[in-house]
Amino acid sequence: MTGGLQRVASTVLLVVVSFMLTALILWVSGYRVGTVLSGIIQGSITATGAATSTIRWTIPLLLIGLGVVIGFRAGFFNIGGQGQFYVGACSALVVSLGWREGPVPLVIMCGMIAAILAGMAWSLLPGYLRVQFGTDEVLTTLMMSFIGALVLQYLTAGPLRNPSGTGQTAASERIPEAFRITDSSGVSVTALLLVGGVAVLVWLLLERTRFGLTMTLVGRNPTMARWQGIDVRRVGLGTFALSGALSGLAGAVELHGPGARLVTGFSPEVGFTAVVVALVGMLSVWGTVVAAVFFGGLQSAILFLPIVTDLPPPALVLLHGMVAFLVTIKFRAVRRRRAGLAAKPVAG
Amino acid sequence: MTVPSGPASAEVPAVRCRSLGVSFGTVQALHDISLDLAAGRIHALVGQNGAGKTTLAKVLGGLQAPDNGTVCIAGNQIPPGDVRAAKSAGLAMVHQHFSLPPSFTVAEALELTAARPESHSVYRRTELYRRWQNEVAEVGGTNVLATRIRDLPVETRQSLEIVRALVSEARILLLDEPTALLTPAATDTLFERLRGLRDDGVTILIVLHKLREVAAVADTVSVLRDGKLVLGPSEISGVSQGQLSDAIVGPAPDTDRAIAVEAATDVEQQLLLELVRVSSRESAFEPGLASIDLTVEAREIVGIAGVEGNGQRSLVSVIAGLSAVTEGSVLLGGEEVTRAPPARRRLRGLRLVPFDRNSEGISRSAPLWLNQSALRLIGRRRQFPLISLRQYKRQASEAMDLWRVRYNTVAQPAESLSGGNVQRLVLSRELASGLEVLVAAQPTRGLDFSATNFVRSSLRGLRDAGAGVLLVSSDLDELFELSDRLLVMYGGSIVARFNAPYDRQAVGDAMTGALR
Ligand SMILES: Nc1ncnc2c1ncn2[C@@H]1O[C@H](COP(=O)(O)OP(=O)(O)OP(=O)(O)O)[C@@H](O)[C@H]1O
Ligand SMILES: [Mg+2]
Repeated sequence: MTGGLQRVASTVLLVVVSFMLTALILWVSGYRVGTVLSGIIQGSITATGAATSTIRWTIPLLLIGLGVVIGFRAGFFNIGGQGQFYVGACSALVVSLGWREGPVPLVIMCGMIAAILAGMAWSLLPGYLRVQFGTDEVLTTLMMSFIGALVLQYLTAGPLRNPSGTGQTAASERIPEAFRITDSSGVSVTALLLVGGVAVLVWLLLERTRFGLTMTLVGRNPTMARWQGIDVRRVGLGTFALSGALSGLAGAVELHGPGARLVTGFSPEVGFTAVVVALVGMLSVWGTVVAAVFFGGLQSAILFLPIVTDLPPPALVLLHGMVAFLVTIKFRAVRRRRAGLAAKPVAG
Repeated sequence: MTVPSGPASAEVPAVRCRSLGVSFGTVQALHDISLDLAAGRIHALVGQNGAGKTTLAKVLGGLQAPDNGTVCIAGNQIPPGDVRAAKSAGLAMVHQHFSLPPSFTVAEALELTAARPESHSVYRRTELYRRWQNEVAEVGGTNVLATRIRDLPVETRQSLEIVRALVSEARILLLDEPTALLTPAATDTLFERLRGLRDDGVTILIVLHKLREVAAVADTVSVLRDGKLVLGPSEISGVSQGQLSDAIVGPAPDTDRAIAVEAATDVEQQLLLELVRVSSRESAFEPGLASIDLTVEAREIVGIAGVEGNGQRSLVSVIAGLSAVTEGSVLLGGEEVTRAPPARRRLRGLRLVPFDRNSEGISRSAPLWLNQSALRLIGRRRQFPLISLRQYKRQASEAMDLWRVRYNTVAQPAESLSGGNVQRLVLSRELASGLEVLVAAQPTRGLDFSATNFVRSSLRGLRDAGAGVLLVSSDLDELFELSDRLLVMYGGSIVARFNAPYDRQAVGDAMTGALR
């Protein structure tokens, strides 16, 4: 379809324009753009361990990004992935530390389930407020995200703090090595299978189940959905729950994978970058997979760049911001063109 | 070609187009249209659903760039698809789909589209209201000014669109099915106003479906069929009704096969829908129901007559389960559903044709097949979770073909259908198997006359197959023709009940509340 191709082309164009604008800013501020660009390529692909690091960052971005995609399908903007990710990781940690002697697969599974439940809870509260009172979920999920970050801070500095820790930042004890599904590189066959499986399941859910089609109808025109006998509130709550569940799961994968312990404010940007990932992925499952790999590479490059240039890490966050900015403008423009119904509260 | 002599302006047609062509994918919506509309006259444009009327109006108004051909307004050639140029040449349009910004209040929207640009750019609200009071008084009272467009009922929105075009002081007016949502009385008022404008020299192009209305208002008539201009513009006096309908339908008229719907009624159940002293809360533009008693039995069509805004909407949404009942009870097929969610009622065989097809009946941006399959999505929790899209799409296209929806692919968004085809899409979904009771609000609104006949014979077919039908309509002829019994609503209650044969005078009196 030419329409679909056009959309892909315009999204790619946006990303290229963001690159050029960022390059311009760097150039004006006196950095050598060529070095930075080659640094990005090294840091995401060619340097030793760079490709692995790219995949390591792709995993949480993809899981949280798919959560955002699910939310959007029914017309909700869950941008609180960061907090849901944190409470997920915290719950998984509690399971692992509380049940050190448990059988390995069972503990990991329980950790993931606990994380999923915590992520759900964190997203269901804003979800309830939205379907019941029409409260704007952009605000509430964001607020809940801050609360999630504070919960993490409290736990790592308080009850779960590792007293023998020497680091500057508060951190928890490590979980037993046996409970990890990857080494510290964050990539393993298990982790990849898990994430790939989730992506396939999400795709099936959205495109090949009645619930997925229902979500589409609710997202596009809740009034019509209600006339068709669809329980718009139930669909809304279900959507929020699933969306939060994926972010929570991302937290557990992080803990059982590369993290192994909780550090105050770890992976501070994934939740928000994931929103950009979903938007760049044009809110489709496979588009989001591609976008997650791309931003995974950038994330990896951000960590690598200080080695080859004197560029401060925030300079590349600028690029994220630029992409987010342009993609949001494009998205709003598309939405504006559609009848304004989809953006209206479900309640009322 | 006549050489302009003397006062040239009298000779120049208000609208002239030459060999216009427009296609959407494989659909040729307009094919080599050349047309002159003489100034200072009322020109009617007729044709079947999907014939290209809206597309032609849009091209003339600069809203749609033609693939080829030219448009001249008052002698000036308009660059293709240039709305501003068309506007400044003195052209205004009333759309079939509403175009006023939904989140604006009525006063704001009118101000925005007004012809005379006021000198200052900051407005005070009271000043705005004062300015537009008179214009909207006849539409819905002055309190309508502060309401947001999206909260208005469709009829009021339609009237507002007309008001907007009339206040724009345009010299050329294009009206796309302006009467589809109007009551007969409002239609007469509109026609009166159009004649006045014509006598002031305004040129009017009006899209109509009812030949009765064409005869009532038009000076000339043109017919589109499958994107081609097959007749006109011809003087209305020189064309007979027969010629006109032949031109519309074409040489191979549709054989009117009524749709064979098996109603899923079990023979035992006689009383399909029952409302016992039902009351409901009033909404912004409608009285609530006031202790309504109503039954629909198997094998009958019950008509609901009434002036728009007397509780018909409340009635339909109470039955649908979308507004709460404050008192009384609702029964479907003998089962109490007063507090049951809409899904429960749908599963009990309730089918609905809502008033506002574009917002309540379809999801405009969703693909056709999804719109068509919506009813398949509810209440199947025990089935295998994965579905076959191919099967959904096939079933959707079969149902749409049965209703002769004109579409390109099942994946196109519903908003790309012509107005009448949207209504057909809704009907193809609701009037299908599983139906026990049908609540149909204005089911023939916006349909061409062969489709109207098709719907009417389908409603009869449904009744004969054992279903019950509650028909809400503002078209008395339709009600008289179809209803086995007729109820009249006024101020939220049923004020009169009639049996065939109907006395037009008595029904009319009841509708205006004279019986109270
Ligand atoms: N944006 C679009 N994309 C694809 N097809 C379109 C689009 N707009 C119109 N069409 C097609 O062009 C044809 C003419 O449509 P148009 O809206 O002009 O019909 P119409 O005569 O106004 O019919 P109605 O009486 O139902 O309003 C139809 O077959 C319609 O499906
Ligand atoms: Mg039309």
